[in-house]
Amino acid sequence: MLPTSIPMISLRGVSKSYGANRVLFDFDLDVERGEVVSLIGPSGSGKTTALRCMNFLEEYDAGEIRIRGALLGYRVDHDGRRKRESERSIAEVRAPVAMVFQQFNLWPHMRVIDNVTAPLILAKGLPQASARTRGLEALDRVGMAHKADAYPAQLSGGQQQRIGIARALAVAPEVMLLDEPTSALDPELVDEVLEVIQSLARDGMTMVMVTHEMSFAAKVSSRVVFMEAGRIVESGPPQQLFTAPATDRLRSFLRTWFERSHAAATPVGAIHSLPSPV
Amino acid sequence: MNFELIIDILPAFGHAALVTLQASILAIVIGAAAGFMLNALAQIYPTTFGIFYRGFVWLIRGTPFLAQLFVIYFGLPQFGITLDAMQATVIGLGIYGAAYFAEIFRAAWQSIPNGQIEAGRAFGLGRRQILRHIEAPQAIRLAVPMLTNQAILILKESSVASIITVPELTMTAGTIVAETFSYAEPYLLLGLIYWLLALAFAGLGHGSEHWLGRRQTH
Repeated sequence: MLPTSIPMISLRGVSKSYGANRVLFDFDLDVERGEVVSLIGPSGSGKTTALRCMNFLEEYDAGEIRIRGALLGYRVDHDGRRKRESERSIAEVRAPVAMVFQQFNLWPHMRVIDNVTAPLILAKGLPQASARTRGLEALDRVGMAHKADAYPAQLSGGQQQRIGIARALAVAPEVMLLDEPTSALDPELVDEVLEVIQSLARDGMTMVMVTHEMSFAAKVSSRVVFMEAGRIVESGPPQQLFTAPATDRLRSFLRTWFERSHAAATPVGAIHSLPSPV
Repeated sequence: MNFELIIDILPAFGHAALVTLQASILAIVIGAAAGFMLNALAQIYPTTFGIFYRGFVWLIRGTPFLAQLFVIYFGLPQFGITLDAMQATVIGLGIYGAAYFAEIFRAAWQSIPNGQIEAGRAFGLGRRQILRHIEAPQAIRLAVPMLTNQAILILKESSVASIITVPELTMTAGTIVAETFSYAEPYLLLGLIYWLLALAFAGLGHGSEHWLGRRQTH
């Protein structure tokens, strides 16, 4: 990575409140090309809000979010005040970003193939035929090409989420945002989705992921960010965070998670000896 | 029961049924199209158009159709707009229906999970594309049972046009009663014909429900 390169996504001093409730405080994060960044932390820590701000599904109140250097959501006028951008130019800035949702958010009235090609045809203006080719490639990538003509409701949750990932892949994104991609799945369907995500990571896809799957985060992430109450408490490579947490807060978070998922109290340092989910 | 009388008055009822059908179907088409547009505009421009939308629905839903029809038929000529009874009925019923149809579409729209719209936005679809390709197809399918219901209500509401002398079913029944001094046969026949027409509307609605929903299990 050249030192002069522009980060894929860059957040600077981002703050966000819902009414009197502040959910992000002065949040800074740079995601470089090829990185897999996992956001972890207790519920209500602001991880999902931070992720949703990164493609402007949430508006942020202060600070700057840049996608490959381009300011997202706002423009700064000559008087120094920021104004909300038009939907069209917001769409342009977020074009390199694709999103995978916790609840899949597939369009139930469309066949699988149409779910995957609709963004290509409607947003990118691709002709039907080449959209279909790209859509089938993306479906093939997640092992779902054989279900191209099915409707989402005819598929299992794991299959639906793989369609969600294929839809994101089809737009040839430079970065993928994954919002708790396995949280809505039955336990036995989690692995098929994690396998797909892991293979994307191996291929060098830049990803930012909110997850509760700690062992998975430890395995695929190049960096883990632990958040609480809208701030980053600690961040670094997974080995460092999971084996030698620097803060008491992270230590107790990991201990709670560890005890809950394995009943027996084992030192947090043993995390890598756990059977991994993939 | 005088069956000879029924045979005698059947042709007049047949003709009147065509008038009722013509007025109702035109009003349903106008009302459904206008209602769809009203809701679509209110969805796209919630602040600016939303105020007009709420005012319109509030006004039309809060006043009797007969009063609305009187304003159109007897009131508008004062402002230089003169409509014949049939035109006034079609326009009046169309406006009246538009408010209810719009509310039906609004309810159907609201039942689409927000995540689907977010996914549309996240993947770069414009507001109008989301409306056309994600919301409308699902909302229309969800709305069909309620639309059928409203269409039947409009069919029956068209009987009010008899008061401004549109020669539809109800007025025809009244005329026959006045001429023959028989009440039972004309009014029973009147009810029977409305019921048959409503049955046909319900059948059409059921058919389109089936047609729109046949491939999805959702």
